[in-house]
Amino acid sequence: MTLIQVIAEVWDKNLMTMRTIEHLQMFSIALLLSIIIGVGVGVYIYSRPKIANTVLNLLNIVETIPDLALIVVLLPVLRLGAGPAIAASVLYSILPIARNTYTGLKGVDEEYTYVAHALGLSPRETLFKVRIPMSLPLVVGGIRIALVFCMGVITLGGLVAGGGLGTVLQNGIQLYQKDAILIAGIWTGLLAVILDAFAGIIEKKLHQRYGTW
Amino acid sequence: MQNEKLFDRIDYIRFKNITKKYGSSFAIEDLDLGIEGGELLILIGPSGSGKTTTLRTINRMIEQDSGSVTINEIDTRELDPVRLRRNMGYVIQNIGLFPHMTIAENIGLVPKLGGWDKKKIEDRVRYLLDFVSLPPDMFMDRYPRQLSGGQQQRVGLARAMAMDPPLLLMDEPFGALDPILRKQLQKEFLKIKKEIGKTIVFVTHDIEEALILGDRIAIMNQAKLVQVGTPEELIFNPVNEMVASIVDTDRKFKHMDTLKVKDLMSIFEDRYMIDASLNACDAVDKMTRSDVETVFVFKDGEVLGQIRMMDLMKCKEENIKVEELARPVKSFKPLDSVAFALSDMKKSGEYLSLVMNSSKPVGILVSDEVLLKLI
Amino acid sequence: MVAIETVLDATMEHIVLVYTTLLISIVISIPLAFLSLYSKKLAFLVMKFANMVQAVPSFAVVAIMVPLIGIGFTPAVIAIMLRALLPIIKNTYIGLSNIDPALIDYAEGVGLSQWQIHRHIRLPNAYPAIFAGIKFAAILANSIAVLTAYIGSGGLGEIIFQGLIGYNTKTLLIGAIPAIVLAILIEISFTAMEKRLTPTHMKE
Repeated sequence: MTLIQVIAEVWDKNLMTMRTIEHLQMFSIALLLSIIIGVGVGVYIYSRPKIANTVLNLLNIVETIPDLALIVVLLPVLRLGAGPAIAASVLYSILPIARNTYTGLKGVDEEYTYVAHALGLSPRETLFKVRIPMSLPLVVGGIRIALVFCMGVITLGGLVAGGGLGTVLQNGIQLYQKDAILIAGIWTGLLAVILDAFAGIIEKKLHQRYGTW
Repeated sequence: MQNEKLFDRIDYIRFKNITKKYGSSFAIEDLDLGIEGGELLILIGPSGSGKTTTLRTINRMIEQDSGSVTINEIDTRELDPVRLRRNMGYVIQNIGLFPHMTIAENIGLVPKLGGWDKKKIEDRVRYLLDFVSLPPDMFMDRYPRQLSGGQQQRVGLARAMAMDPPLLLMDEPFGALDPILRKQLQKEFLKIKKEIGKTIVFVTHDIEEALILGDRIAIMNQAKLVQVGTPEELIFNPVNEMVASIVDTDRKFKHMDTLKVKDLMSIFEDRYMIDASLNACDAVDKMTRSDVETVFVFKDGEVLGQIRMMDLMKCKEENIKVEELARPVKSFKPLDSVAFALSDMKKSGEYLSLVMNSSKPVGILVSDEVLLKLI
Repeated sequence: MVAIETVLDATMEHIVLVYTTLLISIVISIPLAFLSLYSKKLAFLVMKFANMVQAVPSFAVVAIMVPLIGIGFTPAVIAIMLRALLPIIKNTYIGLSNIDPALIDYAEGVGLSQWQIHRHIRLPNAYPAIFAGIKFAAILANSIAVLTAYIGSGGLGEIIFQGLIGYNTKTLLIGAIPAIVLAILIEISFTAMEKRLTPTHMKE
């Protein structure tokens, strides 16, 4: 049997097309929620500078919790399935996105906000037309970190009956199927590296576009 | 509501007993000043004299502690600041073009927020870019960092005029440019000013700029207004020593008859030199990078003439070399008299000339409007 | 119900696993970072590899150990190391190279040897960065050590996996909570050490 045949067989037997789709579905939901909540939190703490550090420190503690332990703690509430893995992904990902959004918004040169006011932009318009777009490269940097977090945590979904590529890895280890582990492991890693590289390209483009810093 | 015009024209702006303190020190102390509709009023003084603070009370970027600013008898404090600011244009020294927006987006920002439709915004942007001598097709889609300092400053002016405000506030708009470019832009601005007929309040610390551009000049020192009047009034009837010394920079005007070209010229630099065989479009790029708007065309060490960026703008359609576009340029010797050189330039309508020592360029002489007035 | 002794044993195993790996990682990374100072090529490779591996999900790294090395303590150490090495190398390298070149010139000028320059100039300057890398690696190690129980490393993860088999919430929490407490302890103790080790002139 050639290598390709082996891969094809393992792929089919483990329903890896379906598992990849599941994986990417959970991942997309997790990342989307992370972006919405993360940017929201970032903008919110920017408007409430007094609580900003407290919120960031709290999120930082969440960050230290082992991922599987966090999923397990969420289990009694969210039950077995994709829920706990997605929720844990989001909990991890809020910090990098919120922190970068906050830093980005704060870091916009006073000169530009001054000009915006002088041109007659309201504070709201200044936020949406100047501050947010100008902090975009940093926000995207945060999203890229979150992407890696989500990929990692979603892979644990298999351990709590959430499906995805983690399930293939789990079965492989349990049944001691070396081929399956190797193929699923490499594929999972590759998927993550490709997505990260893709995000890296977008980030670089944004930096070039928004150029000055 | 915010976009409604507050005033179609400015009849009179009045500062009445304006005082502004920071801690225990005065930024402005009891200022009384009137600005006539349609005039260009210069605010000048050393740093800390209160000139910029005064300017900023007009658009309420700074709120006075006491006193009032009225425009056409309306107290600005009764107006919504956002609405007030949209009714006046504002140009500052660092320009502050938004780096994430194209030139067209920068100029069209306030009209867009004002709910104009796309077509109307584009027409306005094109009109304004033309107005400040930047061909729209070439510049609309560029980003600010792709422009030279002089070009950015033009865009800054275009942006300030986006809503066609009857009043322009300008805070050292040419302050960051090198002397030659500054004079060129001043000269152009003088022309624009006549065309637009707006009321302009202009802050500067450069007395020559003040004398060239100002209809009237208000001299400030240590938070107080010292004297206000036309350039001639200030030169011939200064109220005190300080005014006299500010107005008569380097005692230049008193000794005009003895001044030589070398005393007034700017030192020639390599960036003002361009090779005759260069393609016109490459020349535009080179000039943008070195931030100059006029260069002198050289061929084998010989001057062929001068060329302005504006003359090169159609380079895409025509594809020619700079050689073919060079216009004749006057040249003088370092020891020629300034009065002679300036009147010679004025006669032929030139405002830039080369200073040559035998066959080597050593300087650039820019026409001086103030001196010309007095010659 | 899990016996107290079982929990204590598992916690001990967990701690041993985490700190053994961390120690090995530090011993390998810091010299490697110094070497990278001498070879632009090595530095480039290390950085590229570090960034790439950081994107790979931990569970994939842990799982791949099984066909490549097997199960037990050693594969677990290697899996954790693969993830923990890189933040330390990366941070150390950045800390070491992020120094005013004029300072190095000066040090060479007054006759310091390469070793003395490393010891007295580059290293102290890099302490905060190195320490941040080690802290990050410790937290990462603590997190992955839970997972490696799945390939037979023992530790707190084992209790969690027992809980997962019968879906016993109590067992699950008995495994998870000590792991979380350990994580927070690492964060607190390392942050405290970080403050003490940072040279006075670098503090905010």
